[in-house]
Amino acid sequence: MSFDVETLTSDTAIVHVGEALDFRNADEFKETFQDYVEDDIQNFILDFSETEVLDSTGLGSIFSLYREISPQDGQVAFADVSRPVQVVVQLTRTYKVFRQYPSVEAAKEALTS
Amino acid sequence: MAEHSILIVEDDRTVRELLKHRLGKHYNVATATNGQDALDHVESSIPDLIISDIMMPKMDGFALQSALQSDKNTRVIPFIFLTARADEPARKQGERTGVDDYITKPFDMDQLLSRVERLLERVEVFQSNLDAEIGRDFSNRLLPDRLPDVNGYRFDFHAEAHAQGGGDLFDWVETDQGTYFLTIGDVMGKGLRAKFYAYSFLSYVRGTLHTLLKESTSPAAVMQSINEMLLSDEVLEDTFASFLLLHWNPHTHTVTYANAGHCRPVLVTPDGPEIAEHSDLILGLEEDTSFSDVTLDLAPGGALFAYTDGLTEQPGRNGNMLGEAAMRDLAAEAQDRDQPIEAIRTGTLDRSAEDDFQDDILILWMQRSPNTD
Repeated sequence: MSFDVETLTSDTAIVHVGEALDFRNADEFKETFQDYVEDDIQNFILDFSETEVLDSTGLGSIFSLYREISPQDGQVAFADVSRPVQVVVQLTRTYKVFRQYPSVEAAKEALTS
Repeated sequence: MAEHSILIVEDDRTVRELLKHRLGKHYNVATATNGQDALDHVESSIPDLIISDIMMPKMDGFALQSALQSDKNTRVIPFIFLTARADEPARKQGERTGVDDYITKPFDMDQLLSRVERLLERVEVFQSNLDAEIGRDFSNRLLPDRLPDVNGYRFDFHAEAHAQGGGDLFDWVETDQGTYFLTIGDVMGKGLRAKFYAYSFLSYVRGTLHTLLKESTSPAAVMQSINEMLLSDEVLEDTFASFLLLHWNPHTHTVTYANAGHCRPVLVTPDGPEIAEHSDLILGLEEDTSFSDVTLDLAPGGALFAYTDGLTEQPGRNGNMLGEAAMRDLAAEAQDRDQPIEAIRTGTLDRSAEDDFQDDILILWMQRSPNTD
């Protein structure tokens, strides 16, 4: 499974995470965002609307993305966070780092205006 | 299982295409037309198996095989020679090391396929046995071989490794004041890589804890140093870990903790079990993260139950993960049992849709005896 990515502006993209981000596809996620980071994308909206599984390896790959873009003041925004993702975000206290938006639209507006 | 890659080295186009076609149905096949071409290919990507002709222009099969033997990275690639009848004397004359099989042309395709399959299977079994052995070795090193023995307390600990498990770790040290500093952690990721990072990480924590504890027994202060280390160390870059540091004072019956994104422990009080709510950001993410200490009182008969996410992420009967609420119930059930950890283990599996744990699990149970003041 590959990730569905939409480029919004020259520095912002949406990644539709899909059903699962876990130890099976975390490396693929990393390769995906790497290509976009190289193209100067520094703001990522992660669409979690369909996500049923986010395990610690998957979350780790999001952290890697954050580590990569935060020195350039980039942002990782969580949009339309599903219940299973919410649990992980609560547990690891990462809502302190990743801004959450109720929908992809709301995140788009906040990041591109 | 990932698809194996095979490199076919053959100057005869017909044979090359035939092999590519047949093997391509099962494997990821690349081709080269002579030894030199094959070496260039191997340099950019190491195949799982090489099938090579002997007589070829530029660089023949023998020269290729010798070149591969001279480099430790390529020496271990399984190697099959396709030999023409005319090559038989040469083959017999020089018994070559590092050749796994000879197949004489004209060859039987089914026989070739079955030999390839067997060879790859052998490599795979060897690799997974090795991984399992290293994994077990790391797991053992991530856990202590003895536990604190304190009057008026019981201290139980249990960990079991899962083949697909990650980097759970636990360690403890007694301070000069007769108090105890406990470290529980979970390095993100799965498999050997997570275990390796957990091991490197724990070695660092063990090494520095001694020095740090001379200055402060504040878990939050120690957590801060660990976070800074994690962010500045290049080897550990991209390593993230949840950590729970506990400073346990059996004289005052208190546990002071700092929690960096780890599963929240359960405190069993006379009023029942409650989740130790406070926690801060996971380690390895932000440089200026601040951590704070929270102190819990252990009443007579009271207990503290700490664990890793193998327990909370165990699938429940309805398919959802068991979660924190189940941990609180388990603590209540375990409180009056002779073997609290066994009660938690079986209680978890009773609630689960699976007969066995799906990840590493780690359980720590410390309980003050009911009759102390």
